[in-house]
Amino acid sequence: MKLTKDEQAILGGSKGPEMAKLMKIQVVFGNTFGAEKLVDLGGAPHSNLYPGAPYLSSMIKMLDECATAGLKSYAPYTVNPRPYDCFNVQNNEKEMQIVYEGYPLQKELDWVHARLGAPDLNKRSCACYVKEVGNAPKPGTMVAWAESSAVNYGNSVLGIRTNRNGAGIDLISAITAKAPYFGLMTDEGRQAKWLVEVKTSKAPDWGVLGTAIGRKVVEDVPLVAGIDKYFEGSEVTEDNMHLLKAMGSATAASGAVGLYHVENLTPDAKEKGRKLLEEGYQTYVYDDAEEQKTIKTFDNLWPRKDGDPTAAFIGCPHNTLYEMKKWGKLVTEGLEKDGKEKTAIPVYMFCANVVKLQLIADDGELAGKMLKAGMIATPMCGVTWAGTKGFSDRVQGITNSAKTRNYSSIRYFPDQTLVDIIVSGKVPS
Amino acid sequence: MAKKIFKGRPVLSGKLEGKALVSKMPFNLTGSYFENMFAGNTESAPCTDANNPDLFKKDMKDAILCTSQCVGSTMGAGALMGVSEMGVGLKAFLFSSHIDSIAAGGLIIDDVWYDRRVITIDLLGDEFLEAVKTGDPISIAEDGTVTVG
Repeated sequence: MKLTKDEQAILGGSKGPEMAKLMKIQVVFGNTFGAEKLVDLGGAPHSNLYPGAPYLSSMIKMLDECATAGLKSYAPYTVNPRPYDCFNVQNNEKEMQIVYEGYPLQKELDWVHARLGAPDLNKRSCACYVKEVGNAPKPGTMVAWAESSAVNYGNSVLGIRTNRNGAGIDLISAITAKAPYFGLMTDEGRQAKWLVEVKTSKAPDWGVLGTAIGRKVVEDVPLVAGIDKYFEGSEVTEDNMHLLKAMGSATAASGAVGLYHVENLTPDAKEKGRKLLEEGYQTYVYDDAEEQKTIKTFDNLWPRKDGDPTAAFIGCPHNTLYEMKKWGKLVTEGLEKDGKEKTAIPVYMFCANVVKLQLIADDGELAGKMLKAGMIATPMCGVTWAGTKGFSDRVQGITNSAKTRNYSSIRYFPDQTLVDIIVSGKVPS
Repeated sequence: MAKKIFKGRPVLSGKLEGKALVSKMPFNLTGSYFENMFAGNTESAPCTDANNPDLFKKDMKDAILCTSQCVGSTMGAGALMGVSEMGVGLKAFLFSSHIDSIAAGGLIIDDVWYDRRVITIDLLGDEFLEAVKTGDPISIAEDGTVTVG
């Protein structure tokens, strides 16, 4: 990789030993992927470094050394949600023990983020691009984000340019304000190797579709055709962005998709159409039969397979404001229809705190109804909770998130079935 | 068994002999290390990816892991550094395809900042993954040559 004089000087120690090491990591990393140069970054970074778990102590120690040396991100950056919430969710002795034993470094990590340039905890979210959190750089902006679902949404729907960075590389890039130029940042790397033709008889189940795409294309870029008709006016809006969030995050969890194009809808596809397809591209047809085939692979991983659910997990990635309102109405109206006041099981609604506050500001009556019904808004990361020790012995979860399903014993159901289970407490036979 | 030789690209070079642990399907970094990441296990590294029949519940500590590539969440980089620090990480990571940016990030940071190296070879070719089986003797050379058998 060819470095500028300034970059070479940093590598040689002109900005201190910590910056020199960070630059060396960038160079080795870039060389691994055939990058020819480093590019200057714009917009704002997003970091997925969120849990203060012992397994991250090396990473936290490295960043603490950087912060202590006075290094800082080139712009204020957003961060994934914290891994626990002792106010609303883990508010009992047993769960608190797990939290405090499991995340002894949370204070250190939060302190590192504060010094490197992250905003307050109210904006913690994996869906950093929602309006209330506000990290949505303009199309074409070079950034170095981490968090598979945010990278995937940012590249695809916002049209920003980032590789799928792992924890650590995100903040190293934020501090150096540079990233190696390769892969999904380049025009060539954004070409599609797959044409996915969606031919379902009705709107697909977005999480199932994403799972199927991820398994099929693994890390390649797909151009998805046949779904733009489910987006009014061929525009992604506050009211429909969650569909792509659900699909995209599933492609990133079941595969390693960092970018997808949607014909007639996403920025690259609107500009280039089917010219995005590489010569010799492969085709994958997703129809009703393929959807059913994929659903059948979603095994029941509950220890007590025929037992009843004990909690619902809605919002992975974090809910948008529209989703909060949508689920609030679905559940409270479902309860009213059944003559009930409370849900049969607690319903955890995962969202940034600023989204919850906006819900209260916009529609306090609905927010109140949700609270009384047993719907609990929480800014934590649900899938991390699902990974804690003995979780499946304590909780038999149900979810609308194909990503959560992919990483846990929590069972996936379509929206209306989920509402019915939340109201009745029973899984239909 | 007859020895088979494959030439890959050393991402992090080194010399090692041992036995193979094989995942024919792409390796989900985050999904495989959940017990080490969030459940407090620092003694062993049982694979927690129920979607992976080759590895589910098998101990990956000190393994020479052979797979095509990595998939899954971007937390995987931290997972690799974490299991390395706990002493339950891999000895070597052998890819038939190109290493991905998540695994590379974790492995390279660990190597440069902490001098902890997991020998990493990629681009060994599809034939490598077709040939190698769990338990096969493996020999890795500095130049990225991998001998199976």
